[in-house]
Amino acid sequence: MAMQVFHIRYRNAQGTLMRILNAISRRGLDLTSVHAEAAGTEHAVTVQVEVTPKQIGQLCREWYAIVDVIEVRSSAGLREHGVAEWAPLPPASANATESARAALA
Amino acid sequence: MLKGAEIVLRCVRAEGVDLVFGYPGGAIMPLYDALDGSGIRHVLTRHEQGAAFAAEGYARATGKVGVAIATSGPGATNLVTGIADAKMDSVPLVCITGQVRSAMIGSDAFQETDVFGVTLSLTKWSRLVRTIDEIPEVIAEGFHWARSGRPGPVVIDIPTDLLKAKKEFSGPVKFTPHAQASEAKAEGAFSDTIVALLQKAARPVALVGAGAKLSGAIPELRRLLDDLNIPTFATVHGLGAVPPQAPYYLGMVGMHGTRAANMALHETDLLLVFGARLDDRVTGDPTRFAPNAKIVHFEIDPAQLDRVRPCELPVIGNLTDTIPEFHAKIRPASLPDFSGWRTVACGAERAELDPRGLAQPTIRFLDELFSRLPQDNVVIADVGQHQMWAAQRYRSSSPRGFITSGGLGAMGFALPAAVGVQLAKPETCVLCVSGDGGFQMNIQELATVYRLGLPIKMVIVDNKYLGMVRQWQQLFYDRNYAETDLSDNPDFVEIAKAYKIHGWRLNEAAMAQFPVSEETGDSIDNFLRSPEPELLVFDCHPEANVYPMVPAGAALSEMVFEDE
Repeated sequence: MAMQVFHIRYRNAQGTLMRILNAISRRGLDLTSVHAEAAGTEHAVTVQVEVTPKQIGQLCREWYAIVDVIEVRSSAGLREHGVAEWAPLPPASANATESARAALA
Repeated sequence: MLKGAEIVLRCVRAEGVDLVFGYPGGAIMPLYDALDGSGIRHVLTRHEQGAAFAAEGYARATGKVGVAIATSGPGATNLVTGIADAKMDSVPLVCITGQVRSAMIGSDAFQETDVFGVTLSLTKWSRLVRTIDEIPEVIAEGFHWARSGRPGPVVIDIPTDLLKAKKEFSGPVKFTPHAQASEAKAEGAFSDTIVALLQKAARPVALVGAGAKLSGAIPELRRLLDDLNIPTFATVHGLGAVPPQAPYYLGMVGMHGTRAANMALHETDLLLVFGARLDDRVTGDPTRFAPNAKIVHFEIDPAQLDRVRPCELPVIGNLTDTIPEFHAKIRPASLPDFSGWRTVACGAERAELDPRGLAQPTIRFLDELFSRLPQDNVVIADVGQHQMWAAQRYRSSSPRGFITSGGLGAMGFALPAAVGVQLAKPETCVLCVSGDGGFQMNIQELATVYRLGLPIKMVIVDNKYLGMVRQWQQLFYDRNYAETDLSDNPDFVEIAKAYKIHGWRLNEAAMAQFPVSEETGDSIDNFLRSPEPELLVFDCHPEANVYPMVPAGAALSEMVFEDE
């Protein structure tokens, strides 16, 4: 388990923030901090949560599947893998080149 | 000027809905008051859960959105199991619930429940309507999300005062979706990568799930599989996507899958997944699932990727787009020769064993029943042992021919779902197979069947136990049959009679002779072809078990085939 910070942009429709937080609570994870605020025409929430590497992927994919989520970024855990701070986490096959390279390895 | 209730119904009608299922109550009364003349037929079930399952059955049989209506509080909470079921099995379902007056919300008023909150984690999208002005937009958006992408359940909660209020109505609106994060599409390079993976593979297989049906990509998928000609199997919701007679088809995979399918999945070095979640009933022990395989996962919902085991190549998108793109790169003649592997995987040594043991008469009964079905048929199975026997024995090339609660495993699903299926397909022979436990969970829907005169053929496989739980108690809890004994069941034939439905009973002895006697065969034929609803109770051995079985926590290769 490692502490991880996620930054999620979303449209502030009814229940969107709760759906984002529910992805954490349904896994029984401890939510260390939450900060949500308006960000331009949208909203953004920053959450700090202790997760396993597998849960990072699960959370990001679940957040992306929420109708009004626009973007998911993550920091700490990805630094270890040489990825830039607040790197976006698109659905995996959006980056076909990297996926293909990994599959053929 | 129209009332809010009339606006709701006009907008729902504009979405192509002409049939809804529901149960009236205080807060939703204005909507019921407006039903006459709306062009929408309402079917009264005898419980809100029945309405949700009936709407699901309608949606699963047609691919259209199913609609269920309930009042606030207990009416709405009774929908919850159906909503959860629709979420797990990707069923387009819109639930419209009445809510207490706007001014009373949050006051713990009579029959007030936070339905929006209760269903938040179970819905794809939901809204508590706040003004009469937003009704058209909310209805249009709700239907859009229910049917788009990976379909799912939507809840629209409307305070009763908004249903009674009036406003000028200029007509239904169209919802224009904003770009979604999860709409990121696979890029063309994936096809070349899969072709390269196939060139290096020795034992490739294909796994087909519900997504193949939901996407409408069955023709594209079948053409692709014919060209690939590699061992192929299906999840319980994928049954019917591949014609059972296809020479490369190995049947159902997973906990109660065929020996051939599970062995091939365990031995493969390249697994192509088409629209399946790879849930634990399919994978067995995830750490030993397809241990030597690279996985290519075609999926519309990014949330389903890597859930159980990482895949090497995710291909996100609608199968109607991604399969043809991949297929265009396939040159069958240039693929490696997989005939040796196909011979092993599809060979006689791995063929299904003849039914034996205590379950033999029941399996023979189901074989007899299914073999006598008219060509145009749908089988709806409830949840439990009979569900798995039915999934193993029913053979159909119809993608929507086998309907069951697969993900949630909700007992009581089949009877109300059959109501929805029969209404969607009035000319089709609809066969509802339940256990004695599950049938009693929504037995009140016999009244709906009678009232509507639906010619549903209902079968209860009666072992006087909660059979699947008892099987696990036998195998994993030292035969401690705690609270699974249903030997004091009512007489189901008499129960049916009370609902003015003809019922009859068949016992195991009738299956001692196989094929069955002419008399038994005629009885089954008459049952299936009756223009009336009919109930058939089949007495199953109390300790009959479902095999093959992959014990919980075991690998797919560790199937058990009979009682020790």
